[in-house]
Amino acid sequence: MAVVRKNILQNADVRDQYIQGVQLLKNEASGRKTNEFGIPGAVRSVSTYDLFVIWHVTAMMLETPPGNPAGRNSAHRGPVFAPWHRVMLMLFEQNLQRVLNDANFGLPYWDWAEDGDLPPQQQGDAAIWGDDCMGGQGNPVTTGPFAFSQSDPSAFRVRISTNISGELRSVNRGLRRAFGVSADALPRTAHVANALALSSYDSPDWDADANSFRNRIEGWMNDDGVSATWLHNLVHVWVGGEMLLGSSPNDPVFFLNHCNIDRLWESWMSRNGRVYVPDMEAGADLKGHRIDDPISSPLGRGATPRETLDVSEIYEYDALL
Amino acid sequence: METKKLATGAAPRKLSDYLTRARDKAPAHDGHGAGGAQSVREDNYRGHAIEIVTTYKILVDGRKIRAPLGVDDSGQVHCHSLPNYQTASAVDMVRALIDGFPEEFERKPVRAQSRPAASHKHRPAPVRKSRPAAKKGSKHEH
Ligand SMILES: [Cu+2]
Repeated sequence: MAVVRKNILQNADVRDQYIQGVQLLKNEASGRKTNEFGIPGAVRSVSTYDLFVIWHVTAMMLETPPGNPAGRNSAHRGPVFAPWHRVMLMLFEQNLQRVLNDANFGLPYWDWAEDGDLPPQQQGDAAIWGDDCMGGQGNPVTTGPFAFSQSDPSAFRVRISTNISGELRSVNRGLRRAFGVSADALPRTAHVANALALSSYDSPDWDADANSFRNRIEGWMNDDGVSATWLHNLVHVWVGGEMLLGSSPNDPVFFLNHCNIDRLWESWMSRNGRVYVPDMEAGADLKGHRIDDPISSPLGRGATPRETLDVSEIYEYDALL
Repeated sequence: METKKLATGAAPRKLSDYLTRARDKAPAHDGHGAGGAQSVREDNYRGHAIEIVTTYKILVDGRKIRAPLGVDDSGQVHCHSLPNYQTASAVDMVRALIDGFPEEFERKPVRAQSRPAASHKHRPAPVRKSRPAAKKGSKHEH
């Protein structure tokens, strides 16, 4: 039976389970060591949670095709953005269900546009950043369940990040957030509504300049069709700290943001049908983004964009837009 | 998608097996790691072939930084290590790099071999060349 994904701010039980699940996955050894992933420095154990950080960086570094001028990679800046993150979230949700021992647990989402409608100076004080939810900002974050504690080895720590070249590296520090530094305010509900009104999922040149639903929600173009930091990207940039980097899954709010983006995609499909472009007629330079191409994931050929269009057997949202 | 397929693929061992394979197969990042990232933009106009090759040489506190900046067809600057961001100006991108990777910009104390050991806590003021700061937007390389 499909689990229900709910708004984290309206469901305290789900919120508490999410926090607990993240902490459990963060403290669960995956059985692998950093050197097995080519991470330089002293050899360290890698947690199950951090496998998702490595996965995201790895997918991002895989250009599709290599050296393409659009900077399209196997998870971003192209049509596969929504399907790839859907697969990532489903596998993360499965792991949360396992460690929580609750097959009915559904990943919660953060409806950030509600906060985006607040005056910018109030957005950093919204409920999502409360001590009982994600905690606040700082370097390191010192409030909430993921606060840094020098003396407590089981407290939340960032262990794998990237350097300025985008390569994986070992670190040992607290979580970082810096609200509103590189972007003034979160996206608003009107911006979400405008994105949902776009009728094509994606369109040529299938890049950061396409005037399509995928490109709008990923956040490379604003409502005026002008290049900008928008929706999904704007949430990353506004939160700042870890969320700026390729290793952004280090911040547990990453999954809440993407769950909301996935909800927007599901809302778009409820209007336009379970359709996806490009199809297999598209040229080899779109390999990795076409409907029957395998998604970069442990599911191999079993996960293609087509396979991700109907997930009704696995989960549903408490409310679509 | 079916639940069964998903449950098997979600096992941490499956994910880590996949990741070690994916990282073995990952192509070497020409330019990216070396900081010599290049953007090549091509166009045809009135029968003429246009090719614009852009590379960035960026110095922060006089030190060359190895960030893989690029510029896309619409002239937006992006950087592989800040994957969710694009700016009209490379200056704003470098500011974001300083925010995103603070330890890479820490000013290292000048090595003072002849000084007493206690002096390592003293951080000398960084040497700055008296050059006017780049005006925002004045350094577009596209
Ligand atoms: Cu991503």
